Amino acid sequence: MFNGAFRERVRNSWVEMRENLTRSTLQSLGVILGVASVLGGFSISDSMRQRSMELYVKMGGLDKLNVRQSAVVKEGAPSALQMANLGLRTLDAQEGEDIDSSSVDGISLRKDAQARVRSPYADQERDIRGIGGNFLALDGYEIDQGRDFTMHDIDTAAPVVILGTEAVAAFFPSGDALGRTLRIGDTPVQVVGILKERVFRFRDGQHNIFRWRNRIIAIPTTLVARRFEGDQYHRVDRVTFRIRKLDAMAKFSKALSGMLKANHRQQEDFRLDDVGARVRKQQSQGDVYDIIFLLSGFLSLIGGGIVNVNIQMATLKERIREVGVKMAIGAPGTEVFKEFMTEALLLTGVGSIVGLIIGIGFSKIITASIGVPLHIDAKSFVSAYGLAVVFGFVFALFPAWKASRLSPMEALRYE
Amino acid sequence: MSTTQQTVGAAARAADVWKVYGAGEAQVIALRGVSVSLEQGKYTAIMGPSGSGKSTLMAILGCLDKPTNGTYALDGERVEGLSGRELAAIRNDKIGFVFQQYNLLPKASVVRNVELPMLYAGVSRKERRQRAQELLERVGIPEKAKVLPAALSGGQRQRVAIARALTNRPALLLADEPTGALDQKTGHEVLELFVDLHRQGNTIIIVTHDLSIAAMAQRQVEIMDGLIKLSEAA
Repeated sequence: MFNGAFRERVRNSWVEMRENLTRSTLQSLGVILGVASVLGGFSISDSMRQRSMELYVKMGGLDKLNVRQSAVVKEGAPSALQMANLGLRTLDAQEGEDIDSSSVDGISLRKDAQARVRSPYADQERDIRGIGGNFLALDGYEIDQGRDFTMHDIDTAAPVVILGTEAVAAFFPSGDALGRTLRIGDTPVQVVGILKERVFRFRDGQHNIFRWRNRIIAIPTTLVARRFEGDQYHRVDRVTFRIRKLDAMAKFSKALSGMLKANHRQQEDFRLDDVGARVRKQQSQGDVYDIIFLLSGFLSLIGGGIVNVNIQMATLKERIREVGVKMAIGAPGTEVFKEFMTEALLLTGVGSIVGLIIGIGFSKIITASIGVPLHIDAKSFVSAYGLAVVFGFVFALFPAWKASRLSPMEALRYE
Repeated sequence: MSTTQQTVGAAARAADVWKVYGAGEAQVIALRGVSVSLEQGKYTAIMGPSGSGKSTLMAILGCLDKPTNGTYALDGERVEGLSGRELAAIRNDKIGFVFQQYNLLPKASVVRNVELPMLYAGVSRKERRQRAQELLERVGIPEKAKVLPAALSGGQRQRVAIARALTNRPALLLADEPTGALDQKTGHEVLELFVDLHRQGNTIIIVTHDLSIAAMAQRQVEIMDGLIKLSEAA
């Protein structure tokens, strides 16, 4: 490598490869197909995974810890203690933030109700969502027109409402909903904000899986408590904490669980749900496809490798004399070994690059046919390429070793 | 130390060398106890009909093969016990081969062919190029450096092979029927080159079955049925 021997080997291998283009092409065919199939397979799961990530971002991110009510009475009659329990409250959210206020990036509250909703144009029984804290941001909603609820709105249980696009279409078909009045139950509320429409299709042509989110009719949690099904304890249905730092999540979740239990008279009437952990677990089930793709790539690389060994052994016969000459003028067996290895690895390297290009084309066709945008991880390139090089190396060993063990005398005399 | 003393003054010394190929029924005894000493700076011809064992002797003198029995010392160094790697280093450093069929690498340019032994010896690129060019001048074809061997005539190819053999300043220049594939005129030119090289101090061994070629050497060694039949100095 240092006096140019390496360079010389690479150069000679290149010449050898170019001069025997047909043979080289045949030899690298296995590598090309192997790399293409590994990359093609990986890119499909990469693309699907990427699509899921986009979905989670649109859902408001994965870095969330949900706390929900949960039934504590499994069977029989509840005990007095259980009866007296207050459940999840606004207070829990406040104390939760106090545990580690530097890690908590946002809190949202939810308290649901059902009510009759009326406008001059429509009259429907609807789910009403009482929201508090940073609900819109944490759930991936964005204001299109008007405004979010202010602290003042929430503190004073102001009669205001924010509508999703479907709700706007249902109750104000003419479109100009902002500032108009809607009656929820017996309470007149003013429309202060309209949300952006939320759309996500996993594949082109699939239905919008966010359609139901556009049905939202949101009012302050405090208004739900005051006018619909509230009580003096400020109970809520769901508290969500956003924890940006992944490593802080486990600690926070443990501390939160302890605190909630203490607050809830030592009863676990709540359920913690680490959204990120749940999704990661689901995704790991998709890894089995990666293994299948890897396996099919493996098989074609093995097939290609065996073909390669055969061709290499056949061409070795033609080159025995050349090996003999090199040995006669002083090439040790190791040098001959290195020359053959360089040739095989160069072939593998070039074949792999062609394979990657074909693999990309292949993936494009497949992802286009299932309607998902193409995405390939750098990791997939590296593993497809790495795999091919490892196989190329292993299968090159035998012919190279054979060549290096030739006796110079017999090699020179070989006709 | 006795071996060193034994070989003083001799570029190569073979003592009671046997070479046996195969075993049992198929056994072939190529050399049956050959002893020969080749002095530094001498021009020696080894003669013999085909099958006489001269190629085997040449292979042993050139460290391409090891004797089955007996000793061989080159430039004061015994070779029987050496590994394949060490033999390769000796071939690279101390021996220059010239073959009947030239044995140039067809895909490498002339200058690269000449550089090859230096590449194995670990000589730097710059020095390789320079020395290869000098050697091509010495054999009379400096203008052919960049062409492929296929573009050369037989005589020119053999000159390239001679240049290649000289690269590492060998202790022994071994030529196996170097004019066997050439017409008389070019063959004669090549032989004159050998005489020149001898005059410049190279130790040369030429293997031939042609008496007139052998007559140009200082000493003739004749081999027959694996034994030295005649060894005389001119």
